[in-house]
Amino acid sequence: MAPTLLEEVPPPRLTPVGGVKEALQRRSARPGGRAYTVVRWSGAVLFAAIVVALVVSLLASSSQAFAHSGLSFFWSGTYNAAKDIYPTGVFILGTLITTAVAIILAVPIGVGTAAFLSEFAPRWLATPLSVAIDLIAAVPSIVVGLWGLLVLQPIFTRHVEPFMKKIPVLEWFFHGPALGPSMFLAGTVLAVMILPTIVALSRTSMSAVAVEDREAARALGATRWQVVTTAVVPGARTGIEAAVTLGIGRAMGETIAVAMVIGNNYALPHSLLSPGATLGSAIINNFGEASPGLDRASVIGLVVVLLVLSALVNVGGQLLMRARSRVVGATT
Amino acid sequence: MQRGAVRRARDLRSGPDTRRRPLPAVSALALSLAAVALVAAACGSSTPAAAKKKANSTTTTTATTVPTITSTTTASAAPGTTTTAAKPVVHTPTPAATTSSTACSSSGGALSTTCDTKSPSLQVNGAGANSIQPFFTRVFYYYNQANHGVSVNYSPAGSSVGVSDIEQGTVNFGDSEIPIPAPATGTSGNILQVPVDLGGVALSYNLPGVNGGLKLDGPTLAGIFLGTIKTWNNPAIAALNPGVNLPSTTIVPVHRADSSGPGYDLDQYLIDTGGSAWTSSKAGTTPSTKWPITTVGVGEQLNTGVAGYIQQTPGAIGYVEYAYALQASFTNAALKNQAGSFVTPSQSSIAAAGAQASGLSASNFNIVNGPGAGTYPLANFSWTLVYQKQSNTTLGVVLGKLLDWVTTTGQQQAAALGYSPLPANVVSLAHQTLLGLENSAGKPLFS
Repeated sequence: MAPTLLEEVPPPRLTPVGGVKEALQRRSARPGGRAYTVVRWSGAVLFAAIVVALVVSLLASSSQAFAHSGLSFFWSGTYNAAKDIYPTGVFILGTLITTAVAIILAVPIGVGTAAFLSEFAPRWLATPLSVAIDLIAAVPSIVVGLWGLLVLQPIFTRHVEPFMKKIPVLEWFFHGPALGPSMFLAGTVLAVMILPTIVALSRTSMSAVAVEDREAARALGATRWQVVTTAVVPGARTGIEAAVTLGIGRAMGETIAVAMVIGNNYALPHSLLSPGATLGSAIINNFGEASPGLDRASVIGLVVVLLVLSALVNVGGQLLMRARSRVVGATT
Repeated sequence: MQRGAVRRARDLRSGPDTRRRPLPAVSALALSLAAVALVAAACGSSTPAAAKKKANSTTTTTATTVPTITSTTTASAAPGTTTTAAKPVVHTPTPAATTSSTACSSSGGALSTTCDTKSPSLQVNGAGANSIQPFFTRVFYYYNQANHGVSVNYSPAGSSVGVSDIEQGTVNFGDSEIPIPAPATGTSGNILQVPVDLGGVALSYNLPGVNGGLKLDGPTLAGIFLGTIKTWNNPAIAALNPGVNLPSTTIVPVHRADSSGPGYDLDQYLIDTGGSAWTSSKAGTTPSTKWPITTVGVGEQLNTGVAGYIQQTPGAIGYVEYAYALQASFTNAALKNQAGSFVTPSQSSIAAAGAQASGLSASNFNIVNGPGAGTYPLANFSWTLVYQKQSNTTLGVVLGKLLDWVTTTGQQQAAALGYSPLPANVVSLAHQTLLGLENSAGKPLFS
């Protein structure tokens, strides 16, 4: 009985993935496999080509701006197309500040919510709540922006921002008049946008933490809360870090929602209540009307700066985490 | 006994798994919700074009309420007619449409009158100024009522978009608050520029306790937008307004974050009247559609954004197309005109500015700070841009008739919305310009 079965279904050949040539040779006996190999490799090549082409074309179309402005592309004066001055420093600063505000607000809330959903919430509550959070992730940014403009902005101007000014230490960050649109409001809107990503990814990785780890913690007399802090969160750290990285990426690259609530002021911000501008909002406000030539090249230069900045923040964040995990590994 | 223990152990081990397995009813609910989410995601963020359009429609949705608010009699000025065009594509008419109108187009027709009023079924795509959108929404609706075949999609993305779109030939017509400087050409040759409406720019403010008509002149306004005049009870403002009880509220100047026609007009006015403080700060005497002082106050997108901010914020002052200010019942400043009198924007004071335009043309379009005691200084014509050579004869004829209707009969709709009807000499300029439309062979479409 067993031998006949074996004859009918030959065992799959488990060969390591090699180069195109080897793969084609290996698969040459079977036309279907060969076609699949071609599709697989051309897909990979196409993807790489698109990324390379994107970077190259961005650099090519912005080279004029970098040639014109040199290093002063990053500072000196106010962005003014009429004067051919295109500094990006204020936008970089605005991007970093709003992203930082968003992360500071969204990470504790997001990870806390994820822990609640995965560890504490009863099932009848956790399931619909998770679905609701996933739904927020699907809300287009223009909707979040409009909500920020029409709903959050009046509340912030009248209640939240005056309140922040009264808090002893925070008042240093919140001084000056509350005009409505501000870096703080933009950061809050961004936090709302990245929250679902952080919750969903963190919750998944927390649920995946091994039961044995929880049992071990419980066996050592940990309370429910201590189980979370000592076993679940450390176990899910990689997933949480990935969630935060994705959140940072979205927050840095957001354009329209930020442009609607940040106030689009190109002066150096002196407080979180100042209106400001980010790379994304500056791109969306300037690109539509940029005249061909230096003007347009400079706006594309902003795109390049945004690309580089996101890459730097991501790489920097990963290095930081790796260094931290090494330290943690050494001490424990 | 032992089996029971094993099962208990297994249950214990797989605890979280069972926890995560939802009840059938709950999972069905979750699935359907997830499906909704998926659809929402697909609709919301499928294409960048859609996303961009959404960005524009932030104003569209609000702005299209203009007709319904201002006109109680003709409450049905359907917003639906002109709003939701995706970024217009190059127009490809159906063969049926081409044949059905040969009676009129092949022999060349008379513009605006006899030649059969039944137009072929066509969709005309346009893009351009945000300021003219309330007017276009209404006149295109009425034109569609009169000529059921012709529907117009107008994307109010801004004057500069209107110019670049027509230059690249991605729309059938563009519209700009500022005509293209000569030579006006694009990928399909010479571009004709037709004045289609007369509008004004209001300096609107939100100052509780102070009525409309606060007097402001060039230097004061320049000081406000440069951030040197910081409070409403500043001596410069008080000197212009004796007897007005001015509060000490902080002034929040609002400008357009995108480039705009109203910004261009105000820039021109401040160059003319704001003194050296303005011209030295912006470094030059050439007005620009991009607001030159971006480090003071708050920048908002489109007329709707500025209007919305003024509405929300006590102390704010900003420039919006008068139609938007009228719709929002704003209090508007009285600006000092060339003759030295202070004039608030109104249909008649803007009409007075238009009436001063003698020898108007696409290269001589500036009517900012015009002469006359009753003239409001911030006024401008809006210009519709079409190619002189219409490779598609049917479309050319439809466009010509449409625009001729807009500049004549359509002007009746202007007043209710806060625009002023075109003066007779400008109507005839529009008519003469439209007579220049040609077919692909270079023969005039109209006689």
